Amino acid sequence: MNGNCKRTVGILFALAVSLAVARPVLAHHGAAGLYDMSKAVMMKGTITKFEWTNPHNQIHFDVKDDKGNVVQWIVATEPPQVMLERGWTRRSLKEGDQVTVYAFVASNGAPVGNLQRLVLPDGKELSAR
Amino acid sequence: MIFSLVVRAQNTAPSRAPAGPPPGATSKVADLSGDWAPDPKRGGIGQSLSLSDNGGRQRGKEADIPYLPWAREKTLSERSSTGPDLGFASTTDPQVLYCEPPGVPHIYLWPIKTKLVQTPEAVYILHEYGPFFRVVWLNSKHPEDPDPQWWGHSIGWYENDNTLVVDTIGFNDKTWLDQVGHPHTEQLHLIERYRRVDKNTMELDMTIDDPGAYEKPWNARRNFILSTTGFLRYQQICSVKENQRFFDNLAKPAIKK
Repeated sequence: MNGNCKRTVGILFALAVSLAVARPVLAHHGAAGLYDMSKAVMMKGTITKFEWTNPHNQIHFDVKDDKGNVVQWIVATEPPQVMLERGWTRRSLKEGDQVTVYAFVASNGAPVGNLQRLVLPDGKELSAR
Repeated sequence: MIFSLVVRAQNTAPSRAPAGPPPGATSKVADLSGDWAPDPKRGGIGQSLSLSDNGGRQRGKEADIPYLPWAREKTLSERSSTGPDLGFASTTDPQVLYCEPPGVPHIYLWPIKTKLVQTPEAVYILHEYGPFFRVVWLNSKHPEDPDPQWWGHSIGWYENDNTLVVDTIGFNDKTWLDQVGHPHTEQLHLIERYRRVDKNTMELDMTIDDPGAYEKPWNARRNFILSTTGFLRYQQICSVKENQRFFDNLAKPAIKK
């Protein structure tokens, strides 16, 4: 493993572990500036993929912006073994679901974030916390 | 400078011999069955083993950790991957950098469950992360000169009818004790006491005795609750490929200026 690769893996794990382990700290410190944990942003979108995987689940969804352009978002949850404790399964979301997403999003404006909660079309709420 | 201090500390002969079961000790087998998860209402996963600083905000300055000077310097030199001093781009946590085993007690600061399988000859401590397991040999002794290894060599016995005591030596020095980088040497002698408080809760009291890194033994605690979802329904594996995908999708875009 070369130096760049090690560094990349380090960055990756740092974020992965921080999201999994240090939620209260992240909330307080705003993920060292990466995510704004002070408020959750609400978005309405369509699920395109739900990855139930280590080190963190990834929810992909499309959102139309003010100009009608589709923006592809990805938000993370904690890992599967933690989300199982919170009532989620790998079938909790499927492609095409119309959802309302509340997420702590990247401070730099990138369409990525950390899920707070999600509301399904039937009104059922899935909390990530 | 730090390196020379580390070498000197590690060459120091242990000043405190490992303990073992009291002669003639007898006790009932404590019932520790169940799937145990970190108790979110009592410390949760936490960052630090310090009893006064579970969140890791006083790293290197905790009153309850009797550092030797090199160990304090080493702790302050580390870059945690989580907590208030987290460094996304520069963590020095070997477990994070290289997928190395977290070791014990570091593994108890992960969001995973633990299961103790009790048999007459040994207790098998299973962890959802890895998945790793440890063998605690009952009615046994440590080898005279154990090879230093990631999880050490563990013996155990029961006491007070409700507690499993696990006595471990023979660690290598490659792991952190917790998320904030408290170091240890090959002289680490870890004593764990697993006690079921009631049907749904278990406490783990630990004594960290490492004369190579700390002036005197110090104590730590983790609290667990019974999990309802079953053990190892999902395997927490350290995969560079999966982690790389997570980094590309979620971290990299957020890091860009």
